[in-house]
Amino acid sequence: MTWRRMQSHGGQVRRKADLRQGCDDLIESASPARYIRRSALRAAVFGQRGSAYHSMWDRSPVIGRATVTGQVADVSPHIVVLHTAQGEQRITLSPCTTAWRGAAVPPAWLRTGDVAIVRRHAKRNVAERIWAQIGRVSGTIIETDGTALLIDKGSARRGRAIVLIDKSSLRKIQVRFPRLEPGYLIDVIGLRQQGYLQALAPATAQPPYRADHPPAPPLISGRIPVPVSGTAVWHEPGAEPPGLLGLAYPALDPETNCEDPHATGPGCVRLPYLSVGSAVRIRNECAGRSAVLPVTSCGAAARLFCDRCVECGTSPRGRIADLTMTAFVELGGNLEDGCFNATLAIAN
Amino acid sequence: MHVLGTAGGNVLGASREVQIPLLAALLIGGCAAKARRALSARSIEAGIGPTAVFPLRLHRPVAIALCAGELALGGGLLLTAGPLAAGPLSAGPAAHAIRSATALLFGTAVGALHELRARQPDAGCGCFGDLSDTPVSWRVMTRSALLCAAAIAAIGVPPLHRPASAGQALTMLAVAATELVVIAILSPEVGEIMVRLGHSEPCEVRRVPVSRTLAALHGSAPWRHYQHHLLATDPIDVWREECWQYAAFPGTVDGRRVEVVFAVYLEPRHPQVRAGIADPGAGARSRDDSAAAFPLPVSN
Repeated sequence: MTWRRMQSHGGQVRRKADLRQGCDDLIESASPARYIRRSALRAAVFGQRGSAYHSMWDRSPVIGRATVTGQVADVSPHIVVLHTAQGEQRITLSPCTTAWRGAAVPPAWLRTGDVAIVRRHAKRNVAERIWAQIGRVSGTIIETDGTALLIDKGSARRGRAIVLIDKSSLRKIQVRFPRLEPGYLIDVIGLRQQGYLQALAPATAQPPYRADHPPAPPLISGRIPVPVSGTAVWHEPGAEPPGLLGLAYPALDPETNCEDPHATGPGCVRLPYLSVGSAVRIRNECAGRSAVLPVTSCGAAARLFCDRCVECGTSPRGRIADLTMTAFVELGGNLEDGCFNATLAIAN
Repeated sequence: MHVLGTAGGNVLGASREVQIPLLAALLIGGCAAKARRALSARSIEAGIGPTAVFPLRLHRPVAIALCAGELALGGGLLLTAGPLAAGPLSAGPAAHAIRSATALLFGTAVGALHELRARQPDAGCGCFGDLSDTPVSWRVMTRSALLCAAAIAAIGVPPLHRPASAGQALTMLAVAATELVVIAILSPEVGEIMVRLGHSEPCEVRRVPVSRTLAALHGSAPWRHYQHHLLATDPIDVWREECWQYAAFPGTVDGRRVEVVFAVYLEPRHPQVRAGIADPGAGARSRDDSAAAFPLPVSN
């Protein structure tokens, strides 16, 4: 398939763009530590000594973190072994442990070599949920060839992706995404395969507008009311390091964060401009969990969608945070659900 | 009693006559607003709420038919209203048909809006393009029912003519004004217009070039105070959070390397500027005092 030559060229394109001065990019910056220091520099001006940004950047002890990411090395009825960046991690399985590999499966169905993310029970090394080979693609359809789609993921860094819609899932996806044609948006979850995503389920409903003409955001006078409520979604790591805790923010200041070539306006929810390294507090309204997280990248794709999350009630329109997989799971979200109702506040 | 009956008849007559130009203006205005939205969105069916109750393949033809119908009926009401209408457009059969069709349109709209509200509670009616994005409510449905009643009342009205007296003119104006107030009360679009008229962009979302911020900084008292400590006048880092833009410069204080940080409030005139000094290593250390570098905290 000729599309394979086009996949994942976002990294090369992004390096060229990064030659410009003042372009915020956490992944490809020559000095990423400067983003970490911004909170401290702000504190030097305003005299704040809050613990929020300190704890955000500190290394957490392994036992304090509920989420583990790695590659499945071995699965037995009672233990799953993951190869992680820090070595081998053995996690206990219980009868209540549930797993996802394209669908809900017994943990024993996980395969050696699967990229997995595990959420453990609080303060115990026992797996609560396991997701294996889960992937997601959201963005604009560029080309179609039957059930094969080429998707622009919204920014030069994220590049493009190939999606193959599984025949058994075609009808289910078409009900939510009736316009599988160039120029329209798509957001699907499925099994990550070598070089493409096997789409299994829609993550949301297709917006009626074309990707290049999203609706105008509501007008606001005075100050932007915070905290802001909306939808929190997740994205695949791509070039990000595994296990990164953070979010792609849909409203990075275009003056200092490099105007994205795919920019189509501020999106349908008004968010205050921030920069990479800014600290925000995200609360999962469904699970009742919150955390202070750093902004790690630009959420250009999230800006295009004006959908609601209905996991617990109906959220206001708009995606306010595009979390890394680890952050999404750490906050109590289930990856196969695609979203949770969230509120966002500025942490400082 | 006879006087009251005569006065009441005048008001009733004026009410019926006023409906024709009002309905025509609303129909033509609605079509114009929908067309404007379609042009700006480059999509005919963008935001036209009631089309959502039809199958996907009918969205575009229904949207076109709806706008064309509104334009045709609005123009037809005006053409058949005057005393000079002649030929096939003379008052009588044509006027009767157009006014009946208008009543049918608004009556159908009530049902369509009810269906839309049930199927897509968050969808706007799209009646007046971008202004009609608020979810369909009882106000909008009541407005459509009122306009349906107005169109029915206009059936059989003789050709419009100039008021016979000042009193009659005042009566017609009063009736028209009252009806406009009632329609405005039932229209969420009026609130949207008021918001747009009174809108000024909050500073959190205002785009401000970095060059303008730095120019304001260079003219500020904190800059003059710390300028002599700076090793370079070009910032080593610039970033923004909400209404503040930050710029960090390398500097020295008492022979010690520092970073001088300025924060500029993004307001158009005389922006507030604050400054601080930070140790170059500040914030780059983790709790265990080891230099924290990329990658960020890992999960394992």
